[in-house]
Amino acid sequence: MKNLSRFGALALIILAVWLYARSVRVPQGQNEKVLVTTSEVQIKGFDPAQIDDLYSSREATRVYEGLLTYHYLKRPHELVPNLAVSLPTVSEDGCVYTFTLREGVKFHDNACFPSGQGRELTAEDFVYAIKRVADPKVRSSWFSVVAGKIKGLDAWRDKYTDTAHTDYSEAVEGLKALDRYSLQFTLTQPWPQFLYILAMNFCCVVPQEAVQYYGEEFLNHPVGTGPFTMEAFNPQLNKLVYHKNPTFRDKRFPSEASEGYQHLLADAGKKLPLVDKIITHILPEEQPRWLKFQQGAIDIADIASDNIALEVIKGNTIVPQLQEKGVQLCLEQAPMTSFFAINNDCEPFKNNAKLRQALSLAFDGQRYNELFFNGSAVSAQSIIPPGLSGYQRDYVNPYKQYDLAKAKQQLAAAGYPEGKGLPVITLDVRANTKQKQEGEFFKKCMEGIGVKIRVVPNIFPELLKKMSQRKTMMHAISWGADYPDAENFLQLFYKSHQSMSAGLNFNDAAYNALYERATNMQPSEERTILYEQLNRMLAECAPVVYSIHQAHPVLYHGWVKNYLWSNYCGGLEQYINIDLDQKKALQARF
Amino acid sequence: MSIYHYTVRRLFYAIPILIGVTLVIFILFNVVAGDPTLTLLGRYATLQQMAELRHELGLDKPLLLQYLDTLRSTFTLQFGRSWSTNQPISQMIQVGAYASLTLSVPAFVLASLLSIAMALLAAFFRDTLLDRSLVVISVIMMSVSVLAYILFGQWVFAYKLGWFEIAGYEYGFPYFIPYIILPAMIWIVLSIGPDVRFYRTIILDEVHQDYVRTARAKGLANRTILFKHVLKNAMIPIITNLVTQIPSLILGALLIESFFGIPGLGNITLQAINNSDFPVIKAMTILSSMLYIIFNVITDILYTLVDPRIKLN
Amino acid sequence: MIVHPAPRSLWRETLRQLFQKKLTIVALVVIFTYTSVALLAHWGLIAGSWNTEVGSSYAAPSMQHWLGTDIFGRSVLAKVIKGTEVAMSVGFSVGLISITIGVALGALAGYLGGIVDECIVWFYTTVASIPSIMLLIALTFILGKGILAVYIALGMTHWVDLCRLIRGEVKRHRDREYVQAAAALGASHLRRLCRHILPNVLHIVVVCFSLIFQFAIKSEVILSYLGLGMQDSPSWGVMIDDARVELTRGIWWQLTFATLAMFLIVLAFNILSDALRDALDPKLKGK
Repeated sequence: MKNLSRFGALALIILAVWLYARSVRVPQGQNEKVLVTTSEVQIKGFDPAQIDDLYSSREATRVYEGLLTYHYLKRPHELVPNLAVSLPTVSEDGCVYTFTLREGVKFHDNACFPSGQGRELTAEDFVYAIKRVADPKVRSSWFSVVAGKIKGLDAWRDKYTDTAHTDYSEAVEGLKALDRYSLQFTLTQPWPQFLYILAMNFCCVVPQEAVQYYGEEFLNHPVGTGPFTMEAFNPQLNKLVYHKNPTFRDKRFPSEASEGYQHLLADAGKKLPLVDKIITHILPEEQPRWLKFQQGAIDIADIASDNIALEVIKGNTIVPQLQEKGVQLCLEQAPMTSFFAINNDCEPFKNNAKLRQALSLAFDGQRYNELFFNGSAVSAQSIIPPGLSGYQRDYVNPYKQYDLAKAKQQLAAAGYPEGKGLPVITLDVRANTKQKQEGEFFKKCMEGIGVKIRVVPNIFPELLKKMSQRKTMMHAISWGADYPDAENFLQLFYKSHQSMSAGLNFNDAAYNALYERATNMQPSEERTILYEQLNRMLAECAPVVYSIHQAHPVLYHGWVKNYLWSNYCGGLEQYINIDLDQKKALQARF
Repeated sequence: MSIYHYTVRRLFYAIPILIGVTLVIFILFNVVAGDPTLTLLGRYATLQQMAELRHELGLDKPLLLQYLDTLRSTFTLQFGRSWSTNQPISQMIQVGAYASLTLSVPAFVLASLLSIAMALLAAFFRDTLLDRSLVVISVIMMSVSVLAYILFGQWVFAYKLGWFEIAGYEYGFPYFIPYIILPAMIWIVLSIGPDVRFYRTIILDEVHQDYVRTARAKGLANRTILFKHVLKNAMIPIITNLVTQIPSLILGALLIESFFGIPGLGNITLQAINNSDFPVIKAMTILSSMLYIIFNVITDILYTLVDPRIKLN
Repeated sequence: MIVHPAPRSLWRETLRQLFQKKLTIVALVVIFTYTSVALLAHWGLIAGSWNTEVGSSYAAPSMQHWLGTDIFGRSVLAKVIKGTEVAMSVGFSVGLISITIGVALGALAGYLGGIVDECIVWFYTTVASIPSIMLLIALTFILGKGILAVYIALGMTHWVDLCRLIRGEVKRHRDREYVQAAAALGASHLRRLCRHILPNVLHIVVVCFSLIFQFAIKSEVILSYLGLGMQDSPSWGVMIDDARVELTRGIWWQLTFATLAMFLIVLAFNILSDALRDALDPKLKGK
């Protein structure tokens, strides 16, 4: 009896603790519009000059802004002014770009400013920010993108390579603030992609005060002009909190949209941003991320790299169970190409296009698409993904057809009949489950023509290292665009033996010459024709085995409004709205 | 010899071990593996930039100087900055240790109490069905992979049944409580198995001692003997066993933290491994080795304090 | 205190004790079955065709595919069986490697004493101070990938406890009368160590082997999670790790059956090592 009552007491205590634990919640405003998102990768910091990964950049664009951005609702993507009043005036020789900045734009209120209040943005701030990318002390990897392009910037950088202090007051010819609101870039030669570069995250404006005040800790103290503010970033919190910027300029929701996106115009003309707060949880594992989304604890789930996408997306819609919960799907084409890269500089692939063609012919792209993408991906016939000029919907790459007979023929012609004499080929992949399975699939395909593959999983830095040291034979990677120009993809093959790019080590004189010609042209019909010609050249050389162009599925709950995914456009969250009443109604269904 | 002298001497003996540890770590991470430049510079890196960076990080210095750097960071606890995030490592450790401890301390306390209780029960009713089933249960619990526990636990209890939070963490008391319950339970299930069996043997060893026989002969109740005398004496090895587990509390649990999104040191370590972030891996390894060494010294001293039979030399 | 003068009857007695308990018999049967399965799989008599497609991708368990299929439509049953081979070979090889290192160093330290002893003690204390997971990672960084790397990395991290125990025992036996007597009869050091002392510490080795065996099988899962596990063959670790992305889709069979297969053998070895310890050396209990 005594024992029984003891057990009873114990059970009661446990129950009490459990109930208490369930009731503990972080206090939160009642009618606050809070957007909850996740990141599957650790965020590295907020210094635009230093962060170079997709996930950190996405976070940084909530706080920082540049001269230009992309129109939120127009496809194909279109550049629009952001901190500039309009697109720049360009001189006739295509070398001088003059911008006029918006007046009255304020930096976030922050302790780094003498009064604690953000001061007004001026043209000098942009001069400073771009110089900072070139500053050897900052060690920005982005410098190589602008290297040799802006007049005098390289000389300025070289001057301070070995000195202790970099002098920002020294003028650079190609980088001038003409007056408080006028900014002028002078290029060394015409550069058709320059405006795209200016829309990239590393060209965002940062205030000199913040860099000086925080020193090395600047990466944890973002001070920008953007729609959201962040007090301080603590990478160990696994949770990022942003607040609506109270001094944000009068920026309005766009009132135009391309066809097919008209339904997203409900908030047209409203002042941005539309939500009060953003919380981003960092959850590297797929299972908890997905379970939390289904619980309604996360508003938006980017499932592009998750296996769950196969289960919940059938055709182009989501399964009924999720539809009942009011979950919505945004399925946009990603400007991305996945391929099994070949090290074209290593034996047995070197100077053996027939062998490379054989591998390409033996790869069953359709089955691959079904197994890993439910058949929803676009089979890649060239390096250029849909949505960029140079992509041809009807183009058929003669060596990208699953044809075992022809593959065997090419293999024999390459000097390895039925794979005899061919060494075991290693295929380096990233060490996650999906990539390993994809590698296994490639291996099975190659078994069909007697080519032996060994799949080697690597952690990502290890894979990069192998690529840079040219130690791979083959490796599986995806290449995503930084800006909407096919040049971003075609450069992978341009004298790629000289740089690391995608580890292809491909070098073809005819290709190099044509590439140089094409990429120095402004977007035009003529350039597109050259891009297509480059594609055909690559098809013959088969320097990689193309697999697919992936669609980018994002799920969001019914109460999230105006959501549209974009690969290039930063600061998407400012356009998103949350319907609190609908949230209550929908959550009741869970 | 006084306990003070003993402590000093014991600490002195720890120095060669510490040097050994740093040497092994240095050889493994600096000499054999590791070129940070790609992690640091990203996908547009040029060869020249890599060379510059290698110079700046001192990776082109002679190995002896590099080792002295490692040794210095061991004693000053200044580990520099992470290669992958550029964050100061000592700050990462401070914040991470807090999160790890909020999970590990409650789990550890509960697991210890529970395993001692189970061991006592088993010993008290030894060779009965209860004893055997307790032992079998603890063996069963330790025979399942930790990954399976996590995946199933999260899917069934947190998601399907909705009893616990699926993943996440909040700093500050009491907000972290909902998030640590399920991971703590998995921790307990994992650690109870070996502990119960160990404590049970210790308690049984004590039961066979002469004084127990004497006590029995004096007519004391079994229960009194068990709690008053046996447990008191068995506490020495039990406590030392507990003390040696403390370093692992601070380090946290690699997989559990990662799956439940708890930003502790285990999580930091795992991320560092995935990013080849050698300074962080090195710092974590050195830190845990130092804790291990220190707590070993503490255990030894504790032993001499509670057990006068052990001589101080 | 019990003195151990290498009684042959100890082993016979042990066997008798082992077969007395039903639980131990069950454990032995399980281990025997797993070993047979592993050997049969190794010779290609069963599950030789684990790599072929037998059904559609991710078919649930049914009469046709008892344990379901994986992403490529391969039979999970065949993978579990092939995984048995991998697991048993990991357990066995790791056991062998750690015992070789542990016994060699432990015996040397205990027998020779002096500076050698101090060096070896310093070495194993150093290794013990480094968390084994870190050591494991560092070793796989160096050794690269593959089954051999897994063997060696796990073997290098599991020998410390054994080494410590062997050293202590050998030290105790070194000064015993019977060893002194052998020395007086002119037996060389090597002979004294191998013929007289080692047989007397064999029971520790046996118990430790069965413990290391199951540790190694469990550690392989962690290695797989870190992407450092097996490469070309279907290990249980890889199957459990795959479930990270499968369970959310409701694909539970790879995880369940791999866990079950692993659970049984680990349990069997745990029970066996307990029983062995009880029979061979009551002093080792619970270690």
